Amino acid sequence: MAVSILQAMFSGLALGSIYALVALGFNITHNTTKTFNFGQGEFLVAGAFIAVSTLLLLAGHDFKGTLQQAEVTLARYGLSLIATVVIMGLLGVVVYYAAIRPFIGQPGLAWVMSTIGFGIIIQNIALAIWGPSPMVMPSPLGSEVLRIGGAGVLPQEILVLCVSIALMLCLDVVMRRTRLGKAVRAVAQSSTAATLMGINVTAIVVLAFVVSASLAGIAGLLIAPITTASVFMGLTLALKAFSSAIVGGLSNPRGCMLGGFLLGLIEAMVGLWHAELREISIFLLIIFVLVLKPEGLLGQRVVEKV
Amino acid sequence: MNQYKHLLGVVAFAALVGLIPLVTDNGFYLKVLFLIGVNYLAAAGLNVLVGYAGQKSLGHAGLFAVGAYTAALFTAKLGWNPWLAFAAAGAMAGLFGVVIALPALRVKGPALAMVTIGFGVVVEKVVSEWQDVFAGQQGIYGVLPLTFGGEPLDARQWVWVVLALGIAAHLMLRFLLRGKYGRAFMAVNTAEVAAESVGVSVYKYKVLAFVISAVTCGFAGALITQQNQYINSDFITFNLSVFFLLIVLFGGRSVYGPLLGAVVLTLLDAFLARWPGVQHFTYGALLLFALYAMPNGLSGALTSLFRRLRWYDRRVPGPERAPIAPWRLQVAGDAVPGGEVLLRTQGLYKAYGGVVPTNNLDIEIQSGHVHSLIGPNGAGKTTLLNILSGIVPPSKGTMEFRGRSTVGQPVYRICNMGLGRTFQNLKLFADMSVIDNVKVGLHQHIRTGFWSYLLGLPAAARDEARATAESLQILQFLGLQEHARALAGSLPYGLQRRVELARALATRPTLLLLDEPAAGLNPQETGELVEVIRSIRDLGITILLIEHHMDLVMAISDHVIVLDYGEKIAEGAPLAVQSNPRVIAAYLGTDDEEEAAPMGLGESHV
Amino acid sequence: MNWFKGFAKTAIAAAVVSGTAYAQDIKIGYNADMSGSGVAELGISGRWGFEAAIEDINKAGGILGRKVVGVIRDDLGTPPKSIQNMTELIDNEKVSAVVGPANSGNALAWLHLPQQKKIPVVVPIATGSEITTRYANDAQNYLFRISMVDREQSALLAAYAVKHSAGKKIAVLADSTGYGQGGTKDATAILELHGVKPVAVEKFGPKDTDITSQLSKIKAAGADTVIVYGLADGTAQVLRSMEKINYLPTTLGAWGNLSSLFPKMTGAKLSEHLIMAASTTEDTNAKTKALGERVRKNFPTLTTFPCAAQSYDSVMLIAAAMKQANSTDGAKVAAALENLQGVEGVIKTYNKPFTKTMHEGLNVNDFYLARWKGDTVVKFEDSVTKGFQPADFKK
Repeated sequence: MAVSILQAMFSGLALGSIYALVALGFNITHNTTKTFNFGQGEFLVAGAFIAVSTLLLLAGHDFKGTLQQAEVTLARYGLSLIATVVIMGLLGVVVYYAAIRPFIGQPGLAWVMSTIGFGIIIQNIALAIWGPSPMVMPSPLGSEVLRIGGAGVLPQEILVLCVSIALMLCLDVVMRRTRLGKAVRAVAQSSTAATLMGINVTAIVVLAFVVSASLAGIAGLLIAPITTASVFMGLTLALKAFSSAIVGGLSNPRGCMLGGFLLGLIEAMVGLWHAELREISIFLLIIFVLVLKPEGLLGQRVVEKV
Repeated sequence: MNQYKHLLGVVAFAALVGLIPLVTDNGFYLKVLFLIGVNYLAAAGLNVLVGYAGQKSLGHAGLFAVGAYTAALFTAKLGWNPWLAFAAAGAMAGLFGVVIALPALRVKGPALAMVTIGFGVVVEKVVSEWQDVFAGQQGIYGVLPLTFGGEPLDARQWVWVVLALGIAAHLMLRFLLRGKYGRAFMAVNTAEVAAESVGVSVYKYKVLAFVISAVTCGFAGALITQQNQYINSDFITFNLSVFFLLIVLFGGRSVYGPLLGAVVLTLLDAFLARWPGVQHFTYGALLLFALYAMPNGLSGALTSLFRRLRWYDRRVPGPERAPIAPWRLQVAGDAVPGGEVLLRTQGLYKAYGGVVPTNNLDIEIQSGHVHSLIGPNGAGKTTLLNILSGIVPPSKGTMEFRGRSTVGQPVYRICNMGLGRTFQNLKLFADMSVIDNVKVGLHQHIRTGFWSYLLGLPAAARDEARATAESLQILQFLGLQEHARALAGSLPYGLQRRVELARALATRPTLLLLDEPAAGLNPQETGELVEVIRSIRDLGITILLIEHHMDLVMAISDHVIVLDYGEKIAEGAPLAVQSNPRVIAAYLGTDDEEEAAPMGLGESHV
Repeated sequence: MNWFKGFAKTAIAAAVVSGTAYAQDIKIGYNADMSGSGVAELGISGRWGFEAAIEDINKAGGILGRKVVGVIRDDLGTPPKSIQNMTELIDNEKVSAVVGPANSGNALAWLHLPQQKKIPVVVPIATGSEITTRYANDAQNYLFRISMVDREQSALLAAYAVKHSAGKKIAVLADSTGYGQGGTKDATAILELHGVKPVAVEKFGPKDTDITSQLSKIKAAGADTVIVYGLADGTAQVLRSMEKINYLPTTLGAWGNLSSLFPKMTGAKLSEHLIMAASTTEDTNAKTKALGERVRKNFPTLTTFPCAAQSYDSVMLIAAAMKQANSTDGAKVAAALENLQGVEGVIKTYNKPFTKTMHEGLNVNDFYLARWKGDTVVKFEDSVTKGFQPADFKK
């Protein structure tokens, strides 16, 4: 029993760190523009596929071929990460100019629809390029199961955890300790005041979207060896990441991370008990938390001055 | 005149569409027509929630599911009459509308989207996983279809049934939205606190909007289920919720928006199928394009087009051209004789952590008088007003208005009792017309209820006419009658303040709280304001105003209360307060020995 | 009067010519998921098999001297769209027969349409047992199938499980979709016919990556054989989870694992562990090889070949029935389908594949057990399979 719990905890934390990464992306763009990319799930998918194809090309195959375990080395994995970040970053710029900027500040949620539309287009481009079959990405660390405390853990799960936590720590440090981070937080508070202080608000905002898109892409690259890269996996992951952000507190980056891990853990634990109740339990929990604390667990209550 | 033109249009439309099933028996076209109708029904209700009340919901597939499965289970498992089951589907969905509304009330923006998404996902999972009851993917078949003369409806009859339902929904919702309910929804959307302060219960109206949208979605679900005689959990997806929302956003907010949206998107969906390759692309591209080109939706774009082609006559020959009678205040209940204590607080105390903006205040407001509340910045004046009007609950102490305690009462209830107010930071319903703003103020005095409005009964029309007449009187009282049809947000600042005043007057208050009514006004406008406040007092309304303009305060007040650091440091006649050393010290400080002169007329103090 | 007669003759001739020109082509519809869900690859595979068959028929002169046109519709994996497509195909395009769908749920949603409008349907992929039996008691049942019916697959797997398991400790592990749940029902019922009750029945989400908790429960119940119902990726995750907890009982799976996705996900070594039900693979015979190559031209990442083969054969059977009935009238074609002899398909030669009471063209006798070896599927044989008697396949 204890072994099962440990097992569940590991995979829950691994999956949770993916939610946390994508949730962070939501946080960054929402803080700076009060919008986010509702098509983030498709970005995750795109990231996964770009990574697979890069690995294939590096191994000398056609970009739609099959990867062998031996061909995926850590070095190549790293290269594909760079490729993913670059391409996804560009995509982030595109989504900002195409789907967000025209609608910022407009009442209503036009940007929700536009980002969903953009996401549909991305998904279909991916479908057209790579087809509907999932593509397998072997883990760079092999698929030998590790035994930790009796529980079987995939090395990829550990890699996911480590990379995600490293990334989140990085972002945390940048946000709190560097001038760039200060600029981002300034823009989040008030873009008018920030621009009066000489901060290039547009550049910051574009950067926010670049980072957010890259985070989604990296999440895709990390999760693909565990789940395979499939054109249809985006929506569910994005919904759960969004839920993590809301539960943890959309305005607080640490809240988003917490939300992600929390959701991953709860999902795994409930799965241990009754597999089919997993998703129901998460979403019921979310509703419950929001009723009690609408701003999220670590979020700040914004009081409207009357 | 307008009403008849509209009715004629509806009849013509019905006839045209009703003719189609007689002209063709292509099952596919009839099916598409049926689908348009179903989508229209769902979107029409959702438009009330999303377009009017401004609550964006991404979980209405859940309500569709409730209606669908109610119809399915009641007929297939319980053997109910299909028409009864159909009605039950709508009722059940309405009930669940309340369920989704309650948590949704407490949150806004992305959190609201999340709650609705959560609801939709939970329903989706329940109907897929709880196989014993809902049969998951296997589905429930043997659902009884609606019947006519004992026979199940054929393709043509389904079109006619859906047409009839659509027309009924359109007429009912149109009546509803043109009257006090539409205004209330829009008020809640634009400025919740303001809506609450003029007597609109935000809670009640949000729930109502959810219920309306739930009922129509439920009926849509039941129609699909009964027409197909089958339902399974694959019908219920997040994409369905998105699709409904899309129809509403694409169509635009107006009453015709859902129709335009439903027609275009359903046709697109049906006819793009013949090009399986580009189906999705076109869909996604269309979304983006629509949002760029038509930020107000298709109906908004068409309206501007018509306006440019001069098909719309914006000059409305209004009743305001006719002479307007002067406004007589009708106070709810007995008029309060002058000199009575209208509002009394004892030991009123409010603390925010270490900050105490209200410290043990004992205040009496006497009827028939103009009271002013002054004090340096940060003295807690606005906080006091907020406590009195119910927006902020006091930590300790008692408040009584006309003998009844107001502590813990919701804001709209306090307004019902006869307390009206304006705001320091203007809170107009900016995208409604001036006269509509005032009519929202009259909201609580329009007695006709929901069903009369829904069914377009004459009582509702009469009340609307009366409200229009009274609103014009109030506007005339404040010299605003020629701006009646203008958009409130388009007026210059000074006039906007007056509109807010008109709105507050429309609540027929016994006591009117004014928060810095002269802020931003030039000396001439301030002088006019003095006259306005006098006329309001002469109508029998008691006034309590917060002000920094000393000339205004001295000119108009019968009684002045001075606050400093949350405490009352002086009160009395204006001249007495003016020379009170404590008051002077509070404003100017005690170290300045020289400048201890009383503040004179004509000096403004920041 | 002469000019009138002449005019009338010309008019009638023109009408006849234009009428026959208009009615020249025979339309057959294809309605399946090609982009909406995980089942899309099966739908696409089926589509190209469908198109290949139509090509071949037209090369051989068409049906009744008329050209055959395939009308393709993508149902996005959702019932409303699938229903709409059926309505469009039948009422608007006026097809004479339909091949499809891929999702059983979608089929169940629109079954009544072709039944009411008397349009024969041959299902090339969807395996839900109820599809061909719902209207079995009607005067004429218009639903036929050439696919690996769940019930028949379960019969094969259960037969093996029962004979192989020493203590008859068999567990069923299914995904939570309609397919998985239907499979659980079938397996439990068939096992009961063998007098065996499963020691554990668990389910997992189709996209789950960690099924260790369910497997632990199965292990605790002492099962030495597990029947798994899921698509290739789901079953692959099951095996990977089994490896995680070091629990590798005899594992039986369904035809979905014939997809090349399965060994890619599990790795070559682990993939050999699964024993699965199979009917056709690309290298079963020369015809399948040829078809495989043709389909790959349009769909290079083909992972689910049986769908293409089954689709191809579905069209061939429809064509044969039309020729036999000498008409495209639905009722006549359906009756003819129940009386076919000697139709050559890619999977086999069909002799009376359908009867009045049996609308399944493939049954357990067409199936065999197989396993992955490297990157090909090879027949699986052991003492148990060699000792199979027809009576073992209770269903």
